[in-house]
Amino acid sequence: MANQVASLSAEGISIKEESPGRVIFNRFRRHKLAMISLGVISVIFLTSIFVKYIAPFKPNQILVGDYFLPFGAKDLVTGKIHIFGTDHIGRDYFSRLLYAGRISLTVALVSVIVSEVVGVVVGAYAGYFGGLVDNILMRFVEFLITVPQIPLLLIISSMLMQNPDLIPIPKSVLWTMGKIMLLPPNDARQAVLIIMVLAGLGWMTAAQLMRGMVLSLREMTFVEAARSMGASDVHIIFRHMIPNAMAPIIVDASLGMAGYVVAEAALSFLGFGIQDPIPTWGNMLSATQEFMFDKPWLPLVPGMPIFLCSLCFNFIGDGLRDALDPRLKR
Amino acid sequence: MTGYLIRRVFQMILVIFISAVVSYALLNLAPGGPLAGLGQATQSARFRITEEDIARIREYFEMDLIVPVRFTRWFMGQPTGPLTIGGKQFFAGLVVGCRKPIEAQRVDKNGKDITVTIGCKQPVTLADLVGRRTSRGVILLDFGRSWTTMRDRPVSDLLLTRLPNTLRLLGLELILALIIGIPLGIYSAVKQYSRFDYIFTTLAFMGSSMPSFFFGILMILFLSVLPKMAGLPYLPPGSSEAVRDYVIPWFGTITAGSFTDLALHMILPTLVLVIISVAGWSRFIRASMLDVLRQDYVRTARAKGLTERVVIVKHALRNALIPFVTIIVFSLPGLFGGALITESVFSWPGMGRLYVQALGNYDYPVNMAILFITAVLTVIATLLRDVLYTVVDPRIRFS
Repeated sequence: MANQVASLSAEGISIKEESPGRVIFNRFRRHKLAMISLGVISVIFLTSIFVKYIAPFKPNQILVGDYFLPFGAKDLVTGKIHIFGTDHIGRDYFSRLLYAGRISLTVALVSVIVSEVVGVVVGAYAGYFGGLVDNILMRFVEFLITVPQIPLLLIISSMLMQNPDLIPIPKSVLWTMGKIMLLPPNDARQAVLIIMVLAGLGWMTAAQLMRGMVLSLREMTFVEAARSMGASDVHIIFRHMIPNAMAPIIVDASLGMAGYVVAEAALSFLGFGIQDPIPTWGNMLSATQEFMFDKPWLPLVPGMPIFLCSLCFNFIGDGLRDALDPRLKR
Repeated sequence: MTGYLIRRVFQMILVIFISAVVSYALLNLAPGGPLAGLGQATQSARFRITEEDIARIREYFEMDLIVPVRFTRWFMGQPTGPLTIGGKQFFAGLVVGCRKPIEAQRVDKNGKDITVTIGCKQPVTLADLVGRRTSRGVILLDFGRSWTTMRDRPVSDLLLTRLPNTLRLLGLELILALIIGIPLGIYSAVKQYSRFDYIFTTLAFMGSSMPSFFFGILMILFLSVLPKMAGLPYLPPGSSEAVRDYVIPWFGTITAGSFTDLALHMILPTLVLVIISVAGWSRFIRASMLDVLRQDYVRTARAKGLTERVVIVKHALRNALIPFVTIIVFSLPGLFGGALITESVFSWPGMGRLYVQALGNYDYPVNMAILFITAVLTVIATLLRDVLYTVVDPRIRFS
């Protein structure tokens, strides 16, 4: 047997070793829907990144008198085409849609990043050290999860909208977020407040997930080995626990993106999120509601991107879940 | 069992108290609210509000008292005056608020003009509280009076007028979602990998990632706006009943307020809610059922020669429905204040829409009442779920 193996390698035949990332990617590729969704999301992200070059008009540019131009109407002054026409004040719909996409996606992405980071750190700490911190954390999380989420979200965001200066936000944060979302820093404050509200109520699922994983990982032999070699607790948590527990966190992050896009749109739709004239898919949708009866196609334009983003992120999350943990295959 | 229940009841009381504190703090600690416009009104020559007027308005909203005292008056109805024991008054001179604060204009560190309270011209003592109108307290189910939505009407009146609408909408939705969702989930699990299963899982996936407000608007478009434009029979797009008689093609005139009218108005919101619930619940049932069907006892039951139907309904289903108990029990507090977004889209006069309207009108007593009642219902539902779990699953015992 041994000389058979030796002769195999002598002839240059070897089995290609795949890195774990490659394995996961190959498993992910088998989900056609997830791959299609990945493609769609990439297109949406790319349009959001290059929105300044793609959008024909500025989002707040009011063209007086040109209300409700039909699809494909030509602007007489500059000769550019309104691909989706204009809205009720004369702003180009297509450009507003693109800029709104940038803002909505940025809000969702930053909320996901903040909530996952906070959730992972707090969950890992609570799971590893246990004791009083763990107890307090779990009671707190249970309490907040049983409180109805939407009314709480509405109250907090309405309070913050009324008093934007209640929570001091450093000017640098406002300036960076403004640059990312192509907004002036004052308008960016609304978006940052929404991010804080969404992430502030959303870190708890990630913390619970992380705590569960750490509780089971804590008893494993490699942790004991690391500790006997003199590794500090911080080192164990950050170099051993967290990387091994990332699988459900990644799935949660993808599903969370879908949830945050819809949540931000819902808040703006009800009027408690980002206000006009800053375009976001939610408040564009609520603005079309009164004109829906004469122009039925109008709500579809901002509504479909919300649905599409939510659907695609859900598919990607599903595909990731199957790719990262094959034991969960149905 | 009794010891566990007593411990749980204490925990429940604590949680209810904390949620009362939190809901009060959220709304009342931030500046702004119903008095936001008063400051400018003094400057304006048109309104001519005197200082005494402002003091009176502040007294109406109880904003001249300090927050802890305001909270206890909302929660318990006390203190309504000095402590009277055996005819003698104590603490009559305790200062609990400020009727006429001295305000000054300052410039804060960002360069903006703000108004700072630096003193008190006329404090409010406990003795001054005698004779003021107060409620009997939230723990006695008296939620105060509405500030703006229906001026001076008791909040409980307001809630009770809206409650039947929400109950009939969400009650019907719950029953329909259970009747439709559970069989769909079971069938899909039993016939796994069939064409029905694939179509169903994809549809359910799309249904659960669809935002509810967009779905509501789509339904209004396809079942109300477009048919009306085409001259086909259409469903009314909003509200719970019509004000005037209206005509539907092919069906004739519908009288306002009749049973047909109410039923027609209920179809669209119920449809939206049912589809979204079914999408979520049937996936859950399907996953749970798949787990159960893999178990050994199902194989044993089949090996014993029982018909497939008996195996599924009598053995598998009962075990698959155990985790579903949580979902059903927690939709009971949802019956009270649930479908905020759907009610707003369809202008349905229910508790959810009342909440959103009151928040927009700064009518805080209504918001605090709804939050508090929902918190109490959720806490009761948690206890109910824990008790039901031990009933439904004999392997679980109280810890």
